[in-house]
Amino acid sequence: MLLSVQDLSVRFQTEDGTVHAVNGVSFDLEASETLGIVGESGCGKSATSLAITRLLPHTQATIAGGRILFRDVDLLGMPARAMRKLRGRDIAIVFQDPMTSLNPVLSIGRQLTEALRAHESLPRTDAEARAIELLQTVGIPAPAATLQRHPHQLSGGMRQRVMIAMALALAPRLLIADEPTTALDVTIQAQVLELIRELTRQRGTAVILITHDLGIVAQMTQRVAVMYAGFIVETALTPDLFAAPRHPYTIGLLHSLPRLDKERGGELISIEGSPPDQLTPPAGCPFAPRCAWRLPVCSTANPSLTTASGSGDATDARAKHRVACHNPATAEEASAGQPLRPGTAAGLEAVP
Amino acid sequence: MSAAATGRDQPLLSVRDLAVHFGISKGFLFSRSIGAVRAVDGVSFDIGRGETVGLVGESGCGKSTTGRAIARLNRPTAGSIRLDGQDLSTLEGAALRRVRRRLQMIFQDPYSSLNPRMAIGAIIGEPLEIHGVGTTRERAERVRELLAIVGLPRQAADRYPHQFSGGQRQRVGIARALALNPELIVADEPISALDVSIQAQILNLLARLQRDFRLTYLFIAHDLAAVRHISDRILVMYLGRIVESAPSAELYRRPLHPYTVALLSAVPLPDPAAEATRRRIVLRGDVPSPAAPPPGCPFHTRCWLRERLGNPGECTSAAPPLRTVGGGHSVACHFSDAVAETRVNGAGAATAPPAGRPPAG
Repeated sequence: MLLSVQDLSVRFQTEDGTVHAVNGVSFDLEASETLGIVGESGCGKSATSLAITRLLPHTQATIAGGRILFRDVDLLGMPARAMRKLRGRDIAIVFQDPMTSLNPVLSIGRQLTEALRAHESLPRTDAEARAIELLQTVGIPAPAATLQRHPHQLSGGMRQRVMIAMALALAPRLLIADEPTTALDVTIQAQVLELIRELTRQRGTAVILITHDLGIVAQMTQRVAVMYAGFIVETALTPDLFAAPRHPYTIGLLHSLPRLDKERGGELISIEGSPPDQLTPPAGCPFAPRCAWRLPVCSTANPSLTTASGSGDATDARAKHRVACHNPATAEEASAGQPLRPGTAAGLEAVP
Repeated sequence: MSAAATGRDQPLLSVRDLAVHFGISKGFLFSRSIGAVRAVDGVSFDIGRGETVGLVGESGCGKSTTGRAIARLNRPTAGSIRLDGQDLSTLEGAALRRVRRRLQMIFQDPYSSLNPRMAIGAIIGEPLEIHGVGTTRERAERVRELLAIVGLPRQAADRYPHQFSGGQRQRVGIARALALNPELIVADEPISALDVSIQAQILNLLARLQRDFRLTYLFIAHDLAAVRHISDRILVMYLGRIVESAPSAELYRRPLHPYTVALLSAVPLPDPAAEATRRRIVLRGDVPSPAAPPPGCPFHTRCWLRERLGNPGECTSAAPPLRTVGGGHSVACHFSDAVAETRVNGAGAATAPPAGRPPAG
């Protein structure tokens, strides 16, 4: 196992109180595998990636529990120095905001060629040629001139591409890509996603792809975890999740999306309300207040992630379809986007 | 809701040969002009009453500049913008203010477009005050009505923008845009800053408002799926020009410009089965600078079709005009017939999975 995250919890101290950002999250990842983590702002997907890379801000964040095993070594116990080295070689991160990971006082060329030389021990001129090539592949016009520039002289989109070029230069064992293409145009996004696919194919890089875009998940990942309010609420092999989603939140996400491949539809089924503030651990299911499937039990007991019925034949535990829900949707309800059984709609009596 | 069908023949908005150029100057004391960014370079289109026209394209294609020129937040360099027959491209002062009542804008980032020091009620009521509509009491009543229309609680009037989520702030922006009962709304990326589940709420709201108030929309966005969902007709822009225009379903079923084909094929579909079999056309390189657009067809530097056809000379020597090919479909490409052929042969982009594919979810 390349990476094993076990029961990870992260808390943030804020002026308003303690935010329960990540709550007992577990997942595994093998080489060459791409895992998607989907969810909306504040669901804990970025905090999870920051915890793995040990880049959580010390002053506000604490890891309240769990283990993060990378090639059988617990990263949470690793000395800072060793961790830095690991980040420069085995684990690369592409953030939504690339300014946080580029050095503001060094030129782009210096940062790229140093990364390349550390990795492949290339002579300087070769490293420069390779850097230009990398910038070209990520769609940067005038790559030679860009090498001379500093991060602040580039637009956000350009900085993002430089970050991706650096990650590609390292060919790491694990790439954590946190909304890597959110700031990019769709034709450039296609280029970048192609580059990430190549990296997994040719170098065996494992990828954690954190995104809100279910299209990217469908295109890029083998497995997927859906997060809500710091919890994984559903996880499955990607084709299984899209074919038969069980959690009402996942179903809501899929139905609220306008589809490029569908005739112009009527009303989208939106998820009413907004996510909780996570200042107090939820007494029940964190999604219950917005959920059309909720039962009385949903507001008193937070369901744990359990194997969904009908996925028992998967022998590999990681291939199992698991859902955290007291009242998971049926296949008919999943395609309708709403509860169909009597008694399951919000506010009605419980079904035993 | 088809537009032209709803009565009068004259379109509500008629844009002809619109150009917006921004000067680039060099030097300080002896500043001289050294060129121009041709952000919008000869754009013409109509929007019928009650119609929704989507304007898509990537950053820098000129779609936002077009929208802002129509709302007269930018001054057009050339061309005309007729609202109900009246050219507003050259209006100033009081005359412009009068026209603005009929034409409002919704912005991408509802936070930066709302004054953080003003209460929501004052923000929504401000257009009424500026235009001297009603008494204080009538304005307060109208604000309450607007809050209800966009689905915000009455108490929201006394709160401040930072106390609201992104989706709620966008509702405030919409309420403000509706205050003066406009006919045309230019919505510039109105959902792209919002979370997925909230985007659906806003799209539904915009659709309902259109039905209730017979609004006409120019919907500017880079999200092709959202644009397809809401629009009757779509215009595709590239480097300051419209390269293709067609009714929504037609554009997605039968794109005729190689850029549109690539754009559609680049959008990931939330359907793993479709994604596994789909052909993608990955364009190389970046959009050229609008300060130095390439000669001939603006797309030729990245065009996959030109390459496939053995780089014909027309692409670099002459800019293809936007020509009508029937069925309300127009395209600016010398070889759009070849686009249709590549698709039939299966060699082009499968821009959408075949009809009848079972839906995901």
